Amino acid sequence: MKDDVQSSDDRRASLKGLGSSRKRVEDARFTQGKGNYVDDIKLDGMLFGDFVRTPYAHARIKSIKTEEALKVPGVLAVLTAADLEPLGLHWMPTLAGDKQMVLADGKVLYQGQEVAFVVATDRYAAADGIEAVEVDYEELPVITDPFEALKTDVVLREDLEPGADGAHGPRKHPNHIFTWEAGEKETTEQVIDAAEVVAEEMVYYHRVHPCPLETCGCVASMDKVNGKLTLYGTFQAPHAIRTVVSLISGIEEHNIRVVSPDIGGGFGNKVGAYPGYVCSVVASIVTGKPVKWIEDRMDNLMTTAFARDYWMKGKISATKEGKITGLWCHTTADHGGFDACADPTKFPAGFMNICTGSYDIPTAYLAVDGVYTNKAPGGVAYRCSFRVTEAAYFIERMIEVLAIELNMDAAELRRINFIKKEQFPYNSALGWEYDSGDYHTAWDKALNAVGYDDLRKEQAQRLEDFKAGKTRKLLGIGLSHFTEIVGAGPVKNCDILGLGMFDSCEIRIHPTGSAIARLGTISQGQGHATTFAQILASEIGLPADSITVEEGDTDTAPYGLGTYGSRSTPVAGAATAMAGRKIRAKAQMIAAFLLEVHDDDVEFDVDRFVVKGAPEKFKTMKEIAFAAYNQAIPGIEPGLEAVSYYDPPNMTYPFGAYICVMELDVDTGEHEIRQFYALDDCGTRINPMIIEGQVHGGVTEALAIAMGQEIAYDELGNVKTGTLMDFFLPTAWETPHYTTDHTVTPSPHHPIGAKGVGESPNVGGVPAFSNAVHDAFRPFGLRHAHMPHDHWRVWKIANDLGLHS
Amino acid sequence: MELSDEIIINAPKDKVYAALNDPEILKQCIPGCEELTKVSDTQLEAKVALKVGPVKARFGGEVELDTTGAPDAFSLTGQGSGGAAGHAKGGADVTLEADGDKTILRYEAKAQIGGKLAQLGSRLIVSTSKKLAGKFFDNFAKVMDPEAAD
Repeated sequence: MKDDVQSSDDRRASLKGLGSSRKRVEDARFTQGKGNYVDDIKLDGMLFGDFVRTPYAHARIKSIKTEEALKVPGVLAVLTAADLEPLGLHWMPTLAGDKQMVLADGKVLYQGQEVAFVVATDRYAAADGIEAVEVDYEELPVITDPFEALKTDVVLREDLEPGADGAHGPRKHPNHIFTWEAGEKETTEQVIDAAEVVAEEMVYYHRVHPCPLETCGCVASMDKVNGKLTLYGTFQAPHAIRTVVSLISGIEEHNIRVVSPDIGGGFGNKVGAYPGYVCSVVASIVTGKPVKWIEDRMDNLMTTAFARDYWMKGKISATKEGKITGLWCHTTADHGGFDACADPTKFPAGFMNICTGSYDIPTAYLAVDGVYTNKAPGGVAYRCSFRVTEAAYFIERMIEVLAIELNMDAAELRRINFIKKEQFPYNSALGWEYDSGDYHTAWDKALNAVGYDDLRKEQAQRLEDFKAGKTRKLLGIGLSHFTEIVGAGPVKNCDILGLGMFDSCEIRIHPTGSAIARLGTISQGQGHATTFAQILASEIGLPADSITVEEGDTDTAPYGLGTYGSRSTPVAGAATAMAGRKIRAKAQMIAAFLLEVHDDDVEFDVDRFVVKGAPEKFKTMKEIAFAAYNQAIPGIEPGLEAVSYYDPPNMTYPFGAYICVMELDVDTGEHEIRQFYALDDCGTRINPMIIEGQVHGGVTEALAIAMGQEIAYDELGNVKTGTLMDFFLPTAWETPHYTTDHTVTPSPHHPIGAKGVGESPNVGGVPAFSNAVHDAFRPFGLRHAHMPHDHWRVWKIANDLGLHS
Repeated sequence: MELSDEIIINAPKDKVYAALNDPEILKQCIPGCEELTKVSDTQLEAKVALKVGPVKARFGGEVELDTTGAPDAFSLTGQGSGGAAGHAKGGADVTLEADGDKTILRYEAKAQIGGKLAQLGSRLIVSTSKKLAGKFFDNFAKVMDPEAAD
């Protein structure tokens, strides 16, 4: 064989497996404009549907007149709740165990809510039809404040029995959804009452939106002859969508094919089921033609799946020396008009109970109250695992406030409270088993890399210069050490609508030694076709370039729960490795037969099986693949395929240390990010280049959230930030340079030790930016100011502290 | 949103007051007004085509007049809806003061807006409202004093 002379290192490199910065195979089509997104799908006779949306945030609907709209040329149908009711489709279940109107049934609960669905020959005719639908509204009092919602007599959800339990237990008020608790209430309160030092703060994580570049949309096509429904759409969880569509429509699951084509970013926005999907399906059934629905930017920002809106009241206690003794948190969670969070069923507040963070906190208590308001529903995990950015922001702010209370350096306070390397697996006070970590090593590496001690000296000098009138710019050093919890998850704990959160991979090796792998996940830009092929290349010894990865078509891919919460690598990546190992096990038997030795006498070596002690005797995986199909081997059936459904034994716990150095102009409120250092430990690194890209993207979204992005409402419930004029999306202009770094602490339970990284930078980035702003003003007495830290709000901090006089 | 201004109109106070209550004159002066009908002495119905930034809509609305302060003052309140484009409600207090042959008109207006108008228009709504009010009083001044118009 011609590769006889190649060393095993050379052979390993040519596989482009784990650890290779292999270029993204997706980019050839994306960079040439040849991607295939849902709006690129054009079917014969396809119609276009769009919504009449309410301009009122809370109103009763007295009448809907559609006659004039039906006269508009090109308009074929106008659907209202009255049309959907006989089918039982005017309401639909949400992923959080609540139900949600598909089209307004008697009243509307938030601005932009869907009232009627106009179906027309094209998008323009649909828009004209929308203008002609006359809806008579009777205004009702608008509640946009969750605290007021729990006091008011105004009942938002008249469809719910006032005193009846919700999906997650008793409700205290008609506008209350659930109370969820973790930890020990009494013990924690006793510890805090008796503590030497206590810091208390209300930390608000404002309402934001994932705002993917591609908005949500679908094309529904009902083939009435064969009874088959095909639904193309921007689904982060295509298989779950198929099951949900089947359950609510009554169409048997084998007659539904859901396809997620290329997706232009999801970030949690595309997990849920939306009225647009249901209406498109119904419209296709009614008209017998394919129906497309695509959100515009305002629809997207106003109605589909916001994130955060958590009011987190916290108390943290410590000894005088700074050893933390207890943490208490009460969160008021604004869920909007319907509870449509996408959290595992048993976790209505997601994994908010990871809020003890990276610290060894012996006692803790968390309670979360979910509340209805006249705002859009959602509360999704925007580039994070379920409510994990909320938790990380909360604890990283509480640490800073405690440092002020203790008059201590915040880096040192973190260091003395980190969970120690030898404490892993670590059981947290709020019920998690952290799999692995080495926080001190990461922290010291980060502090050294930025020259922390010198930065503090420079900051002190700057402060003197400021006081002496030599400068108007302050220096802030933002610290953040985060621990994520990703990879939901063990089926025993985690399901959505009863669907267990395993994932899957199916591999078929072709006779010539190439392969196709299909997974239950779906890439939205993460580069799955690149990285999953690398996992497999290392497992089965075929080059990554010879492996096609396919996802998103429920007719061909194995069932899986999709891509969100950084679960693809921890769950589907594990399934891929396990399926690869099944292939390898069969290949071993074939190799032994071909080499005429016992199964146990051959061993795997990069891309081949060699006879133990006689490395010149070997069969490559390529040769084995051919033999698997074409040689009669006694006791072994032909073919080389495997499938694995992986139910992880635990979540994974990626972590990292981020430091942001920021200059703040006290007169203009403008910031300049001088340095941003991001150290990530995501366990085994599959593709360092993709990790770096993930970190850059995630930190940029964190920058947006911390420094300007928000979904703001006025007192009438108008969304004030419904366009990209008002909703901050950073461009290259606002984005600083990032320095990335890493340590490697593999997950002990994941087959290849990988933990997932896509969301860490958002989780760790937000507190780093926010803490930098706070740190700059700490010498002037600032304890806490709510995000986003846009120019006006920073100016206002300076003004309130008297720095303008 | 709040607006206030002061305009000098080249006509005596009683004439100005009467004109402000004359639907025909108002219809000529309100920018984009397509219909204005008097339902009673104190109630008007209007249809007005409006454009605020990218939002263009035909508003239908009702206006209620309070003439108890005649001839020195009057108030109006109203609400209108432009369908998908949004809705508005508000009011204005107008006072008239004689200044020789002329009249000084002062107004204070308040409005609440909702829907797309409020969202897209947030940074345009005040300037657009000022522009529309300016146009109204321009038109009104011309109607009251046709010679000065040229």
